[in-house]
Amino acid sequence: MVLLQTRNLGMEYDGKPVLRGIDLDLAEGELKVVMGPSGCGKSTLLRCLNRLVTPTSGQIIFRDEDVTRPDTDVRALRQRIGFVFQNFALYRHLSVLDNVTLGLRKLRGMPLGEAVERAKHELRRMDMVEHHHKYPAQLSGGQKQRVAIARALAMDPAVLFFDEPTSALDPLMSREIINVINQLRRDNVSMLCVTHDLFLARSVGGRVLFLDQGVIHAEGDAEQLFGNHSDPRIRAFFSQEAGNQ
Amino acid sequence: MSFIDILALLATGAGYTILVTLMCSATGMAVGLAIAMFHRLGSRQVSACLAVFTYVFRGIPVLVLLFIVFFGLPGMGIGVPPLVSMMLSLGLIAGAYLGEVFRGALDSVDGNEVLAAQAMGMSRMQVLLYIELPQMLRFSVPGMVNEFTTVLKYSPFAYTVGIPEVMKQAMALSAATLRGVEIYLAVGLVYFAIYKVLVTFVWALEKRYRVPGLTEH
Repeated sequence: MVLLQTRNLGMEYDGKPVLRGIDLDLAEGELKVVMGPSGCGKSTLLRCLNRLVTPTSGQIIFRDEDVTRPDTDVRALRQRIGFVFQNFALYRHLSVLDNVTLGLRKLRGMPLGEAVERAKHELRRMDMVEHHHKYPAQLSGGQKQRVAIARALAMDPAVLFFDEPTSALDPLMSREIINVINQLRRDNVSMLCVTHDLFLARSVGGRVLFLDQGVIHAEGDAEQLFGNHSDPRIRAFFSQEAGNQ
Repeated sequence: MSFIDILALLATGAGYTILVTLMCSATGMAVGLAIAMFHRLGSRQVSACLAVFTYVFRGIPVLVLLFIVFFGLPGMGIGVPPLVSMMLSLGLIAGAYLGEVFRGALDSVDGNEVLAAQAMGMSRMQVLLYIELPQMLRFSVPGMVNEFTTVLKYSPFAYTVGIPEVMKQAMALSAATLRGVEIYLAVGLVYFAIYKVLVTFVWALEKRYRVPGLTEH
């Protein structure tokens, strides 16, 4: 069953096109990876999909509902989409536990005890429950990202968006996050991951979309795209990224 | 009359000094928070109006504004009690300064945290209340201590509108005894004691709510 679809999605900043004619489908429990060079519109695509920015054309269909309509409850939509950022974006003044319970209490109106129980469950799943009393500054990059994932999962989202989840991490910590994504995949969590990390894209094994200058140029299995692709743009990108890693 | 007797007499005015300082500081906090919040949430026009308010009130001497409120407004049929006059002069000026302190502190909140909270589904007001304000207040502690201290040091102006605070007691005592050096030295000690209590209280609060890695002290 299709969870998220875009039809001819477009986005412009100051009259300059950032995304053009994006057609994307994400099924329930599926993982897709969006790759492409810096500035190609990957992060803007994610932000369009949860309406952090407003697309200038096209449609986004989320569970059969057109969420680009002007009367869409954007905040309710965002609550159904978990978002994990490149730089973790944990609330620095809150403990790990409070980072995870904040949304449950203030957005879902959950009583404190229930919120704590749910938060601890997600932290346990991320192997972070023993750090629940710590503050973000007392955690490593990989631990911060795992808390960010627990925070997103606690809201029981329909889909999880990852915006360059490993780019601020060293290789060892990147592997931690890749393991977490693979574990979520086994749990049938729907995910859309934006990255330029070839190792991540290969390791999580979902279908890969290649985005360049705001246009999706190809979609296929990782090995299909990473090999000797007929499109010189795709070949150039992946050979350069392979050289960087 | 011993030095201790002088201190004891002045202490009767210390309660008014503390009252004036607390009321003016509270006014300043409320005004400063309102300025910072409206700057954050309001339109460009609102921000421009607030910038004019801040510019004007930072430029007016406290005593001039106090006299306008206390001696000027009754001429227009608006009588203002002494303590309220202090709040509308010293309090508003403190608010203009604190507004700038808070605005700078708000700018120190990481924009990614704001984005994450919005991505989670929070409204702009929820983001301000749960993410920005708690951090802003922590970042503002040094600036707030500075401003509260300034309010305390300007509180002697209250004697000009008839509030029997420490300075007024001292002037009456000095006129009666001609022992100005001892009396004003004692006044200095009383102000220093109030300052010490105020600073100790604020730093204790700061320590209670300190978050590792958020502020450096």
